[in-house]
Amino acid sequence: MNSDTLQQLTSQIEAMILASDEPLSLQKLRSLLGDEIQSSDIREAITELEAHYQSRGIRLQKAAGGWQFRTAPEHAELIHSMWEIRPQRLSRSALETLAIIAYRQPTTRAEIEALRGVKVSSQMVATLQERGWIKVIGRKDVPGRPHLYGTGKQFLIDFGLESLKDLPESAQLMDEDEIQQMVMKNIEQPGPDNSDSDQTVAVENEAS
Amino acid sequence: MIQGVQTPLIQEEEKQSALPPVQLDQFEGPLDVLLHLIRSQELDVFDIPLAMITRQYLDILEAQEEPDLEVAGDYLVMASTLMQLKSRMLLPRPEIDEEGNAIDPRAELAAQLIAYEQYRMLAEELNERPRLGRDVFVRSIFPEADEVERPLPDGDLDALLLAFRAVLKRVGGEVRHQIFSETMSVRERMTTVLERLRAGGMQLDELLAGEPGREALVTTVLAILELWRQQTITVIQSENYGSITLIPKESMQ
Repeated sequence: MNSDTLQQLTSQIEAMILASDEPLSLQKLRSLLGDEIQSSDIREAITELEAHYQSRGIRLQKAAGGWQFRTAPEHAELIHSMWEIRPQRLSRSALETLAIIAYRQPTTRAEIEALRGVKVSSQMVATLQERGWIKVIGRKDVPGRPHLYGTGKQFLIDFGLESLKDLPESAQLMDEDEIQQMVMKNIEQPGPDNSDSDQTVAVENEAS
Repeated sequence: MIQGVQTPLIQEEEKQSALPPVQLDQFEGPLDVLLHLIRSQELDVFDIPLAMITRQYLDILEAQEEPDLEVAGDYLVMASTLMQLKSRMLLPRPEIDEEGNAIDPRAELAAQLIAYEQYRMLAEELNERPRLGRDVFVRSIFPEADEVERPLPDGDLDALLLAFRAVLKRVGGEVRHQIFSETMSVRERMTTVLERLRAGGMQLDELLAGEPGREALVTTVLAILELWRQQTITVIQSENYGSITLIPKESMQ
């Protein structure tokens, strides 16, 4: 592909991404541009665009398997005052619930409650559902057939994630077995109450 | 209520570490409180000093001015778990797992804390990501040309339920206003009143005496006011709080 054609393609893609109302996927771009355009050419054009916008007030963001133009995060406050909005803060309980669902999906409410050690309110689940961040993706085959929750596409879009694989730190996340092993390896072999602070007190007493 | 359970297990006087005061509503539950206590004092999660932690935990609970019973439940369960663990630690005989290894009673709690801490951290990471509508924004001009044929979205039971829930919420199951058909017509009553007055004047009390029920009464009063307004009748009251006499205009002439 010569540089003129690439420039033309880049300009076309730029226009389409700007005018699209959702992240524009590679597949969609291809179907709009025609089959004679190779995916690799589209990728090249997008890399060009990404580089171009890197230091601008607009960024090309990959989200939910597509590309979208978004304002740069550092200008958030300007936009807030322009629109006279104060964006809603998410409660920590909503964030924790969302995180558990995102990283452990499909998961049930009982599992979320067990992990957080507190009840999960229906209202909070409903709020996350209304935002399109979580959805019921089935029922677990256990007594009571509880709902299984997973994340929705809007979660990827709003949090600027390309896919679930793109979730931060997911590689470091330990599952129950790994945690179990870690605990077993690290925990003190117990005598009767050998490591509790009571002993510290006893030692201190002897010393004095 | 917390005082009652506390006494037998934790009597040891320990040096009060200087913990900054905290409010229970800053926390997301018992695990969050425990992690705060452990991390802020740089304690080992694999070697939790139960007596000290339990006392500090109960101190935070007791500092609550008005315990919210719904919230308190989860916290109290943890308080009793801590004390149960403490008592198991005091038992001389260690518990053995199927492979013959001694089980530390605190292992399960440690695992729970580590698991929770992971998600607490991940929640924070998610929150720090630039979020659409909070930190980053998109242009939103989407021409909805009528002639453009848009494919119908796939059926989505979830979306349908959400929409239904939204409608239910809006309706709220309550009836906003009810419209009754007029069972008694003012105009009809005006005729009746005029007919009764034809003979000459009549006292208001007398006229209203025969009316069955509040609705009929109100209708008659409205009818009288309307007749008065139209100047078909005259209303005379000769003294304060005195009797009111209605006289048809015709008979006056």
